[in-house]
Amino acid sequence: MAASHVSSVSLSLNDRLYAGLVALLLGGFLVFGAGLANSSVLHDTAHDTRHSYGFPCH
Amino acid sequence: MIVKYLLAALVAGLFSGALMTAAQEARVIPLILHAEEFEGGDEEPAAPGAEARPDASHEHSALGIGAALSEVAAYLSPISVAHAHEGEHEDGGIMFGMSRFSGTLLANLVTGAGFALLLAGVSLVTGNAITVANGALWGAAGWLAVHLLPAIGLPPELPGFPAAELGDRQAWWIATVVLSAVGLYLLILKDGIAAKVAGVVLIAAPQVYGAPQPADIASNVPAVLGAEFAVAALATTLFFWIVLGLSLGFANEKIGVTRKIAAKAA
Repeated sequence: MAASHVSSVSLSLNDRLYAGLVALLLGGFLVFGAGLANSSVLHDTAHDTRHSYGFPCH
Repeated sequence: MIVKYLLAALVAGLFSGALMTAAQEARVIPLILHAEEFEGGDEEPAAPGAEARPDASHEHSALGIGAALSEVAAYLSPISVAHAHEGEHEDGGIMFGMSRFSGTLLANLVTGAGFALLLAGVSLVTGNAITVANGALWGAAGWLAVHLLPAIGLPPELPGFPAAELGDRQAWWIATVVLSAVGLYLLILKDGIAAKVAGVVLIAAPQVYGAPQPADIASNVPAVLGAEFAVAALATTLFFWIVLGLSLGFANEKIGVTRKIAAKAA
């Protein structure tokens, strides 16, 4: 749509891939910690969340 | 720019996680608490007063005052029935001594931020901007990949449900989420019949392989609770993902990143 007049400030391909991979790693880490990590303390804290999101639990 | 983009994703994720907590409290948590009363079979019910309930087949509206009070007490108590799974965790407990609700809220915020970053990451890596206009569709795709498609093999489980080996289920679940996400990307965002066919094959593969199933499916938890819970869990997660997609699109448009991604991809 408004692509033409902002193309001069677009992210470079490398920047975009770098940001995307950082986001994927960080997001995966957070979801793993809250949803799947095999720690009793994490499990008990996130217990209801794990069940609600359907993470395999117990 | 990258930092701003990741911050926008975090804000959208925290916002969605907070709303998700409200949705869970309304529809999902009561079912979890109810199911925990049946968990462990002939074990002494952990919630004081729970034995005052008439029988297992009553409706929610028929709860006695005593049972309702004990439900409230169990809900507010930092040490509650959820943490009494027979000998599974000797040294568990909610971190920082928080209440059960705060633990759930914290976990929802972390999970929301995590899923927001994953969604933003997919958007960045594939070069397709998330906007307000397409945010709900991004969210719906996330829900399909992370919840509905894995739920075909491993339905959302209540405490006390029979289940196969945890490691096997987690491996199948992660593989299904990843394969479904890649499959949906090929199906929706890639042109060409070969990509569409590959997408369908990837989505179907883990289902054809099959999820690990328990040998014995007997359970003390009433089937009606399980059915209500499955629908409630899928409905609330759909709500979460739609809110997440829309708020991520809104945050992206606020910081002007969508035009930059779109311009680059064009």
